[in-house]
Amino acid sequence: MTAQHTKQQVRLTVNGRAHDLLVEPNTVLLHTLREIGYTDVKNGCEIGECGACAVLLNGASVNSCMVLTVQANGAEIVTNAGLGTIDRPHPIQEAFADAGAVQCGFCTPGMVISTKALLDRNPDPTEAEIREALSGNLCRCTGYGQIVGAVRLAAARLRDLASIPSSSLGEEGREDDPEDRLLAPDEPSEGGVANG
Amino acid sequence: MDNVLPKPLPEVNLPPLKQVGRPLRRVDALGKAVGATVYAADYSMPNMLHAKVLRSPVPSARIVQLDVSKARALPGVACILTGEDVKGAKLNTDLPGQTGREARAGSDAPVLALDAVRYVGEPIALVAAETLALAEKALQLIEIEFEELPGVFSPEEALKSGAPVLFEPDNVVARYKIRKGDLEAGMAEADAIVENTFKMPFVEHAYLEPDGGVAWVDEQGVINIRVCTQVIEHFRSIARALGVPQNRIRIRGTMVGGGFGSKEDITVEIFLAFLARETGRPVKLVYTREEQFAATAKRHPFTITHRTGVKADGRITAAQITMVADSGAYPYLSPYVLLYATGMAAGPYRIDNVHVDSIAVATNQTFTSAFRGFGGPQAAVAYEQQMDGIAKALGLDPLDVRRANYITTGDSTVTGQVVRSAIWSEECATRALHALGERTPDTETKKVGRGFSNTLQSYGRITWFHDTSRAWVGIEQDGTVVIRCGVPDIGAGQSNSLCQIAAEILGVPLEQVTIYATDSAVTPLAGTSTATRQLYMSGNAVSLAATSIRERLVGRAAKELGVGEEEVDLANSRAVVTDDESRFIELTSLAKLCASEGIELSHLSQFNAPFTDGLDPETGQGDIWPDFTFGAQAVEIAVDTETGQIELLKSAACHDVGRAINPAAVQGQIAGGSHQGLGYALLEEFELENGYIKTPSLAEYLVPTVLDFPSTEVIVLESGTGVGPFGAKGIGEPALTPAAPAVANAVADALGVRIPELPFTPKRILEALGKTKAQA
Amino acid sequence: MPLPEFEFLRPKTLDEALEMLSTTPEAMPIAGGTNLIPDMRKGTYSPETVVDVSKLPELCCIRRAEGRLLIGGAVRIAELLEDPMVAEDAPILPEMARSFANVLIRNRATVGGNLVNSAPCCDSAPAFLVLDAEVELASLVGTRRLPLSEFLVGAFETARQPHELLTAVRVPILSDRSSSAFEKMGLRKISCMAKVDVAVLVESNDDGACEVARIALGAASPVALRAKEAEEALVGRPLGPEAIDTASERAASAVVPRTGSEYKRQVVRALTRRLLAAAAERGARR
Repeated sequence: MTAQHTKQQVRLTVNGRAHDLLVEPNTVLLHTLREIGYTDVKNGCEIGECGACAVLLNGASVNSCMVLTVQANGAEIVTNAGLGTIDRPHPIQEAFADAGAVQCGFCTPGMVISTKALLDRNPDPTEAEIREALSGNLCRCTGYGQIVGAVRLAAARLRDLASIPSSSLGEEGREDDPEDRLLAPDEPSEGGVANG
Repeated sequence: MDNVLPKPLPEVNLPPLKQVGRPLRRVDALGKAVGATVYAADYSMPNMLHAKVLRSPVPSARIVQLDVSKARALPGVACILTGEDVKGAKLNTDLPGQTGREARAGSDAPVLALDAVRYVGEPIALVAAETLALAEKALQLIEIEFEELPGVFSPEEALKSGAPVLFEPDNVVARYKIRKGDLEAGMAEADAIVENTFKMPFVEHAYLEPDGGVAWVDEQGVINIRVCTQVIEHFRSIARALGVPQNRIRIRGTMVGGGFGSKEDITVEIFLAFLARETGRPVKLVYTREEQFAATAKRHPFTITHRTGVKADGRITAAQITMVADSGAYPYLSPYVLLYATGMAAGPYRIDNVHVDSIAVATNQTFTSAFRGFGGPQAAVAYEQQMDGIAKALGLDPLDVRRANYITTGDSTVTGQVVRSAIWSEECATRALHALGERTPDTETKKVGRGFSNTLQSYGRITWFHDTSRAWVGIEQDGTVVIRCGVPDIGAGQSNSLCQIAAEILGVPLEQVTIYATDSAVTPLAGTSTATRQLYMSGNAVSLAATSIRERLVGRAAKELGVGEEEVDLANSRAVVTDDESRFIELTSLAKLCASEGIELSHLSQFNAPFTDGLDPETGQGDIWPDFTFGAQAVEIAVDTETGQIELLKSAACHDVGRAINPAAVQGQIAGGSHQGLGYALLEEFELENGYIKTPSLAEYLVPTVLDFPSTEVIVLESGTGVGPFGAKGIGEPALTPAAPAVANAVADALGVRIPELPFTPKRILEALGKTKAQA
Repeated sequence: MPLPEFEFLRPKTLDEALEMLSTTPEAMPIAGGTNLIPDMRKGTYSPETVVDVSKLPELCCIRRAEGRLLIGGAVRIAELLEDPMVAEDAPILPEMARSFANVLIRNRATVGGNLVNSAPCCDSAPAFLVLDAEVELASLVGTRRLPLSEFLVGAFETARQPHELLTAVRVPILSDRSSSAFEKMGLRKISCMAKVDVAVLVESNDDGACEVARIALGAASPVALRAKEAEEALVGRPLGPEAIDTASERAASAVVPRTGSEYKRQVVRALTRRLLAAAAERGARR
């Protein structure tokens, strides 16, 4: 490769903060974001198969490994860390933590982003719609069940905050209690409980 | 098998607990959810170099010439190391990785290939450069000339006389045998003999977080390695390889983004240590996903044959089991994986007359090592299909065949180890089957099948390793609790469980407990996060330490309150008189009081697993593991008889976990392990052809997505009979074991014939249905 | 592998883009990048210059004109799922889009990008083929149109010249009587390369005889194709089980290569039958 490649000036607004950068054209957004400190955006595969690197790009959920940074010039980018902090978590993040949906946590940022993209558009999704929205995010730890539950819980809590009435009940036919931070698992355990 | 009712449980009186047993939000959950948790690849240091590994593109070759001069000359390249530079340094790949016996199985691998390469992906050279781009450029500039050599690409090939030898003298890396009872007599007694062979492929862990880390030499000259690992005790092997004392390597483990056994091996640490030492600068190395596929461990392929003598009523009179495992290019943990498979070869069934012969064989393929279950899942894929095969041969209900053979508490396994904890195999199987509900009817093109499995899976390490774990617990002057423990947290809630246990014993809310973990220099060593051992070992260590402190607190409080010790409880950060809660001392006051009187409110405890000798080499008899977890899974599938696709309609799993420390975490483990097992049966195969990788990335290697399977319904039973804290058993590996066998049995039920090989791809289904001809 | 080095140009207008493609040596257009970026990483492509066409207004719009639905080359696959005109005029497109890659990829991948890649397992091609779509190729010397079937020359080979840009896909608006169906068969429910794609479109007249029959296969040959002989089995006859069986059998025979692909042929046979039956049942579109 003897060609001279021209670095390009780009402006990225990430989590509300403007960054003016000089980047090589052959850099993808994933690496740029991580380099400027947004290490909550994870590198799982670099070929758009795992979703760990998902961010919101002008509101749309995308794999940041599949976007050239130069293509994102002028864009508004939201990463998981931009949605909330430990002191003030976003309801989606809190729902994930409460619903047992976080095991190793590596897929979690991408899952939260895909959830945000879903709930921004559809505040009362069915289970099928939830699964569809997460179809680009792999998880190897949880088997997805508690993640789907977390999204449902997040949706209920967000609706509560916005006072939107719910038309969908949880799968078991009971409404999620947004104040319930201690979630019972779906099936009560036996043996330790009186009736077998 | 349809319309099964759950078998009633025996009465169990588990003591009521306040925090253990509740699905509290895990201590690590929120940090991960908001993206604050820092993983190994997220670290950077000033003046840091970036490393890359040059890997072999061929499976079997002599290195004729390796020329790094052009790469070395590239401006910005700080260091290049080849096999010559690290000659003599060996990677001890089989060490138990902790205290106790260093009973070597004898597996070593070179740090970097020197004269020859044995698998595609084998590391040949290391580059450290100012930027990652420069390091990658430098890789391109390394010139290497290979002379390709004949290789062996299956155990069958490797066992042929005259085959190239990878492991002296005959490519057999390990072998075991079990001789129990009188096989001939048992077979003679049988009304029928059923024989089947089952095959399983290479499987990839595919955790989301690639291996990686950063190493540097600190101001004391100690080599520090920040790395995502399941084993911080690797500092010993690394020290040995580098020729430095063991107290001069410090492993700082990070929160791990999934391990499942592949991060049990030494991965990037050894390269980082060499490069950091050589350059004197921090060095970072993170594997690409393609590197994960090529250069890290896989699950052992197995071919297992069962020949079983049975009575007409289904009772097994004798069993002869042979197992052949593919060890790949280097042994790594193959000797132990083979041992696990051997020790669990017959499943949770009583067989008085049994021979097991097992071997692991070297081939020029990606090396195989630990993967969740460690040989147990492979054994189960065989024994559970064999049980169904016996049912079919005898015209019996598959559940009745199980019932005729289940071991119960007090019975022994194939190695003669007596199982002392509860064995709720039938309770689990009936619940899993019952949860499937009404059988879905067939349609014109969809044939429905149901299958279930009963499995056993050990928890705790092989007892002749003399496993130990340590934890330090202390109370601060404001009543908050600190745990210091070397435990690596690989996502299953290892660190949270310890906090919840301490919170229970010391009567403080979980939020008041902080754990400092995973630093080989400053946290007491707790052993590997493998073998489903952390809750058992470190949980017990924390329990011991916290109990010691509790006794001192209660003793001092009783004196202060003027009551007997037995009248004092710790709850809500107080020492209270149980019968009169208006009389209490705040824990903060009590802590200060104890401090002023010199009563130590911290404790370091060591927990020892049972220490045994090895198995008898001739008979394979003896105790191997501390205990077992028994579970079952049932699934219903629909086979599209025209396209061969399988739709999983329902899945239910039931395990006796002894005691669920955190039910949400237990649910997650069972649901997640089940998913991996379902993938094993239906989607996943790491394919090699003549040593070349056909599934090099996540585009070809298919891991289950959220749309592929419905969630497994999880049913948790608690017998309270485990040897872990509060009677807990382990669930990490047991969660995976029953899934694939249940699917295998469901497929056979749907098709009426058995496909002897995983995974059940649409192509194999159509061939089995006779819709297409099998292609060679 | 890291991405190779290249120059990056972002034209502000279509003319500028065409100028760049004509005058810059080894220039490749990029829109969504969901093929180009992994391909560059693999070493399949190493262009000297990459020209970003993803924001050119002409390429980003969906509109009706001249009795056709015009879908700009840079329209995202996700938009095929959301746009009401597409749902109305060409419902097979959202049906196809639902099984295309996954939700994250769909937000980037473009119609033009998918077609110019012409992978054997290209999902949109069979759907566009049964719509009798044309592609519009623009260059400095003018615009030409050709049927999609002529545009797709072979595996990873199209009729696009390096100085041309696929600006739109032109889809004739269907009659009220047509009904269509699409199915992708892969080894996983989502996010995988197709093993087989089948698309069908049929239209029957008042007497119940099939007037229009189009069957297209993807991942069953080096390039997506129309199974003409299978279509001929349907035209002029009522869409009953016998005709459908014959058509399905012939569709199976269209799988290339002829030998060693028994599995694909079996699946094509089954899916074609099912989709034709489904389309027949859907009856009139409105």
